[in-house]
Amino acid sequence: MELLKMLSANEIVAQIIGFLILLFLLRAFAWKKVLGFLDKRKEQIASGFKEIEEAKADIEKMRLDYDAKLASIEQAAKHKIHEAANESKVILEDARKNAHAQAQEIIDNAKNSIKYELSKAKEELKNEIIDLTLKATENVIQEKLTEKGDRQLVKDFLDGLDKL
Amino acid sequence: MAVEATEVRHELPNLVSFLADIIGRKTRLGEQIYLWENILFSLIAVFVISLIVYLASRKQKMIPGRLQNAIELVVGGLDDFVCGILGRNGRRYTPFIGTLFIYIIFMNLFGIIPFMKSPTSSWSTTLGLAICVFIYVQYTAFKELGFLGYLDHMMGRPRGILAFSVFVPVMMFILHIVSELVRPISLSLRLRSNIWGDDMLLSVLAGFGLGGVPLLVFSTLLAILAGVVQAVVFSLLTTIYFALVLTHEEEAQVNKS
Repeated sequence: MELLKMLSANEIVAQIIGFLILLFLLRAFAWKKVLGFLDKRKEQIASGFKEIEEAKADIEKMRLDYDAKLASIEQAAKHKIHEAANESKVILEDARKNAHAQAQEIIDNAKNSIKYELSKAKEELKNEIIDLTLKATENVIQEKLTEKGDRQLVKDFLDGLDKL
Repeated sequence: MAVEATEVRHELPNLVSFLADIIGRKTRLGEQIYLWENILFSLIAVFVISLIVYLASRKQKMIPGRLQNAIELVVGGLDDFVCGILGRNGRRYTPFIGTLFIYIIFMNLFGIIPFMKSPTSSWSTTLGLAICVFIYVQYTAFKELGFLGYLDHMMGRPRGILAFSVFVPVMMFILHIVSELVRPISLSLRLRSNIWGDDMLLSVLAGFGLGGVPLLVFSTLLAILAGVVQAVVFSLLTTIYFALVLTHEEEAQVNKS
């Protein structure tokens, strides 16, 4: 009963009303608003993390794509280099063959030319010898035969020499 | 004079006691002011808390300032505390329990501010709060369990044959009724007595010192600790009372499913 003397009904009721007022105010300003805001921020952070993860996955995918492309480009480059090397070999071989053929042709031409020049020189030499021989013969026998007969005579002689 | 000497209160002077002294305690106005001392300090607490919360939540930013950060820390912490005990559905009770905690901690710590007083050192204040808890817990129990479910909850478990089917449940029902009625008294007396003891310690040790250091320094630290701990205890017990009711709710849901 001594304890009950410490109580005041007015104070209890006033305290309950005061607490309910505070509860109403905090429910309006703090709990709904702040908890809602915290939830919103949590969601934003979670979605941000999700976006980062997605971006990471995209970047990884892009990296793999680029790696694959780079590998294919390297492969293509190697292939091109190989093709170019083969082509250059073919060209080189053709050029070598052409050069060889041209050189052979030049040599053949030169040989033919030499042959021709030789035969021409021989012919000229023959004629010179014939002339010299005729002059010498004329001087020796002091008798001039017909020119055609002389020439035939010397030519026969020279042909006979060639056969020797 | 001898009677006046026995009426000396073991608490530090505060604004209201000064005002009552100025007006004259024997006058009607002085008596009224003195009578409503705790309510006045409670209203100051209500005003201060509302003002802080209003200022903090007025312009909420995604990157919070100091005040918003502090309020978010308290609100988030209390929500985690309540939901940690009550589970996912605990958020429904966070505003009630959180408000109770903030209100009590403010009133408890008012005692260490010069010229202020802890309204929680009055049993009427703490009983008012405990009655709020009692009514809300009983309302939740009726709402969640229904009338028959509530009676079933009050009769306790386990049940069995013969005596266990009638006698024990009836006894348990009476025991539960008593324990439910005692809860607000124990809850309020625990808080009131601890804070009253702290205030008394502060007033008694106010004039003493040890080697030039006032003992009030140590007792103030003790009062801060006790104020926080008692607010936590009151909120924790309130949460547990809700948990005791909501556990049956979950069991009922499991049985239904």
